[in-house]
Amino acid sequence: MNKQIANGLRVGLTFGIVNIFLFLIKFPVIAGTIIKKIIPNFIVALFPINPDILDILIFIGLIGIWAGASGGRKLDEKSDNWLTSFVGGAAAGLVNALLIGALVFILGSLTDAHVKINAYLAAILPAVVKLFLLDQNTLNGSLTQFVFSFVAGALGGVLGFAFRGQWFASLKNKWNAAWASLTENPQIKKTFARPIARIALSALGIAFLLFIPQIAGKYWNYTIGTVGIYVLLGLGLNIVVGFAGLLDLGYVAFFAIGAYTVALLTAPNPHHLMWNFWTTLPIGVVLAAAAGILLGIPVLRMRGDYLAIVTLGFGEIIRILATSDLLTSFTGGPRGVTAIGQPTLFGKPFSSDTDFVYIIFIGIAIAIFITIQLRSSRIGRAWEAMREDETVAQAMGINTLSHKLMAFAIGAALAGLGGVLFASRNQFTGPEDHNLMVSINVLSVVIVGGMGSIPGVIAGAFALKGLPEILREVQDYRILIFGALLVAMMIWRPEGLWPTARRSMELHSADPEDPESGEAKTSEDKP
Amino acid sequence: MTIAIETLGLTKIFGGLVAVNNVDLTIPDKAIFSVIGPNGAGKTTFYNCITGFYVPDQGSVTFYGQPIMGLSPDQIMYRGIARTYQNIRLFPSMTAIENILVGAHSRLTTNLIDAIVHTPRFREEEARALDEAKRLLKFVGLAGQGDRVARNLPYGAQRRLEIARALASKPKLLLLDEPTAGMNPNETTEMIHFIRNLRDELGITILLIEHDMRMVMGVSDRIAVLDYGSKIAEGSPAEIQHNPRVIEAYLGRNASEAQN
Repeated sequence: MNKQIANGLRVGLTFGIVNIFLFLIKFPVIAGTIIKKIIPNFIVALFPINPDILDILIFIGLIGIWAGASGGRKLDEKSDNWLTSFVGGAAAGLVNALLIGALVFILGSLTDAHVKINAYLAAILPAVVKLFLLDQNTLNGSLTQFVFSFVAGALGGVLGFAFRGQWFASLKNKWNAAWASLTENPQIKKTFARPIARIALSALGIAFLLFIPQIAGKYWNYTIGTVGIYVLLGLGLNIVVGFAGLLDLGYVAFFAIGAYTVALLTAPNPHHLMWNFWTTLPIGVVLAAAAGILLGIPVLRMRGDYLAIVTLGFGEIIRILATSDLLTSFTGGPRGVTAIGQPTLFGKPFSSDTDFVYIIFIGIAIAIFITIQLRSSRIGRAWEAMREDETVAQAMGINTLSHKLMAFAIGAALAGLGGVLFASRNQFTGPEDHNLMVSINVLSVVIVGGMGSIPGVIAGAFALKGLPEILREVQDYRILIFGALLVAMMIWRPEGLWPTARRSMELHSADPEDPESGEAKTSEDKP
Repeated sequence: MTIAIETLGLTKIFGGLVAVNNVDLTIPDKAIFSVIGPNGAGKTTFYNCITGFYVPDQGSVTFYGQPIMGLSPDQIMYRGIARTYQNIRLFPSMTAIENILVGAHSRLTTNLIDAIVHTPRFREEEARALDEAKRLLKFVGLAGQGDRVARNLPYGAQRRLEIARALASKPKLLLLDEPTAGMNPNETTEMIHFIRNLRDELGITILLIEHDMRMVMGVSDRIAVLDYGSKIAEGSPAEIQHNPRVIEAYLGRNASEAQN
C-alpha cells in the first residue's frame, strides 16, 4: 500500500509539472478547440455550462484520469485490487490537482492584482485566466479545478483497475472470438479469395480514389496533393533506407533537382525556355536519377554514419548553390523561380489542384508498382541481404556498389518526380523549399510509417503531413503535438504505424524455438 | 590430376603480426582437404585471403589455373568459390528460402528492367530458382522450414542452412569454417556423411577448417597443419597423427617427446 501511494505521488508530481507547462502555454484552451470539433453539438448542449469551459474540463479530466490510472497501476501481482488502485490513483490525482489548483490560484490572484502576466507569458491573457478559473472568482475557480482533477485521478485509478480486470479481459475475448468467426469463416474466406472478388475490390478502391478529388474542396485537394507528394518521396526513400539500408539525409537534393529542372525549363524567368511540362517531366526524373548515380559512385563506398553525413552535406550544397549570388542568373537565386509551367491535357490546362491530385496518384501508383515488383526480385533480395550483412552479401556474389547505385538512382528518380510535380503545382520553387527539414520529414515519414512497408509510408505521410494540416488551427502547437506523437510512437510502436509483418514479428513476439545457445567448443584432442 | 586451388607463398601481415606466413597449398579437384591448427594459427585469415576479404601481401592464388588474387569477394564467388563462416552469418531476418535465393544470386541474370516489368524470362528464372532452393532445403534436411525466419531456426539447422546457401551458387570449391562447432557427437557424425555426400554426389571440392579431430580424421583425404601462420605439416590423416611437429604444436614439446 505504501509503495502504491509513493508511486501515486511520484506520478502525480510528473503529471502536475507537465500540466503546469501545458497551462502556461494555454494548451488546455487549444485542446478544447480540437475537442469541440470532435464532440457533436447536441452532446455539448446537454451540459448547462459554457461550451468553451466544458471542452477545457474534458481535456483536464482526461489528463487527470490518465494520471490516476498511471498512479494506480499494478505494481505487483499479489496486492493488485480495487483499493490499491483507487488509493494510488487518488494520490496521483491529489498531487496533480494541488499543482493545478495552486497554479490557477496564483494566476488568478495576479490577474486580480492587475499584473500584466502576458508581458512575460504571451499566452496568458486575462481572458485565458478567466477560462482557467472556469468563469468563477479566483478562490472558487481554483478550488473547483482542484476538486475536479482530484476526482478525475481517483476515477482514473478505479478505471485503470477495471480495464486490466477480468470482466474487461472476457469482453476482449468475446470480441476477438466474434471477429475471428467472421474472418475465419470458410464461406467468407472463399468468397474473398476468388479472383473476381479481388478485382472487384481493387476496382472499388480505385473508383473511390478517383472519386475523392471530385467531392473534396480546393483546400482538401491541395492537402491531399501535398500528402501525396510526400507519399511519393517516402516511397522513394523507402527503397533507399528501408530496402537497401542506406541512410540518406540529403534526399532533398534530388527533389530540388527535379523541381529546378521543371522550373528553369518552363518558366519565363530566368531563361525563357518555356518548354512543355510533359517534356520536362521525364528530363527532371532522369536528371535526378543521374545525380543519384553521380553522387553515389564516390560516397556509397562509405557505410552507415559516414554515408549519412556525406549525403547531408550534398543536400545542403544543392540548396546553397540555388541560393548563391554567383548562380543567380542561372537559378533565380534566393528569390526562386516563379510562373513555372503547368501540365495541359489535349490542349486544355490540366493544372487545378484536383487535376494535380490525379497526376500525383498516377505517380504514386508507379512508385508502388516498382516497389512491389523489385521487392520480390533478385535485386530486392540483394538489397535486403546487403542491409542485413554487407560483407556476407558481397561474398554471395552481390556487387554491392552497383546494387546500392540502383537503389540510390530509383530513389532519386522518384524524388525527382516529386520535385517536378511539387514545383509545377505551386508554380514556384525557391531554395527554401529544399532545406534540410524536407529530408528529415521524408525520413520521418518512412520511419514513423514502418521501414520497408508501402502502406506504412502512406500512413506515415498522412500522419506527418496530413495531421499538421488538419491541426492548422493550432498552428503554434503543431510541433509540440508532433513531438509528443513521435515520442509516444517510439515507445509503443517502435516498428512503425503499419510495419511489414516480419518487422513487427521481430520486435514483438519471440519465437518459442529460440536458437540453442551455440557455444563453440574447441576440442583439444590429441592429433 | 586437376588442381582446384593452389596458393604459392601466400602471406598476410597485420602490423607486426604475420597471420599467414608463406603458405604453399595444392588442393586437388574433388578432394576433401582439411586445414587444422591451434587457435590463432591463421586458418580463418587464410580463408579470407582466398575469398577476397583480405588482399594478401605476398604470394599468389590460382583457381583452376586462373589467378584470382586481388579480385573482390563477389567476383571470386562468380568464379565458383563459396564459403561458410565460423560464427554463423546468415541474413538473420530473411526466411530460410530467401537466404538460399540470395546464395543463388550469382547464377541469376535478370536485370533491373526484367525485375520491374516481371518479363517472362524473369518469371521463368525465379520459378526455377525457387524450385532449386526448395530442393537444396530438402537436401540439407530442412524441408518445409523454408518460410521460417533464419534467426529462429535451431542452431544445427542454421549451420546446414548456411551450407545450403553456399551450395545455391553451384560452387566448384566450398570452404567450410568449423561446420561442427557447437554440435554434439551425433550431429557431427551426420555432418561427416553430409560432407562426403557433397563431394560424392555434387562433385564439389571441399576445404575444411575444423577443430573436432574425430571429424577431421574421419572425413579428410589430406590435411595441412598451420601454426603461427606457417604450414608445419601436410599429409594423409594417418601421417598427420604421428607427425611430431604437429603434436608439439598442439600439446607442447614435452608431449611430443613423450610420444616418441
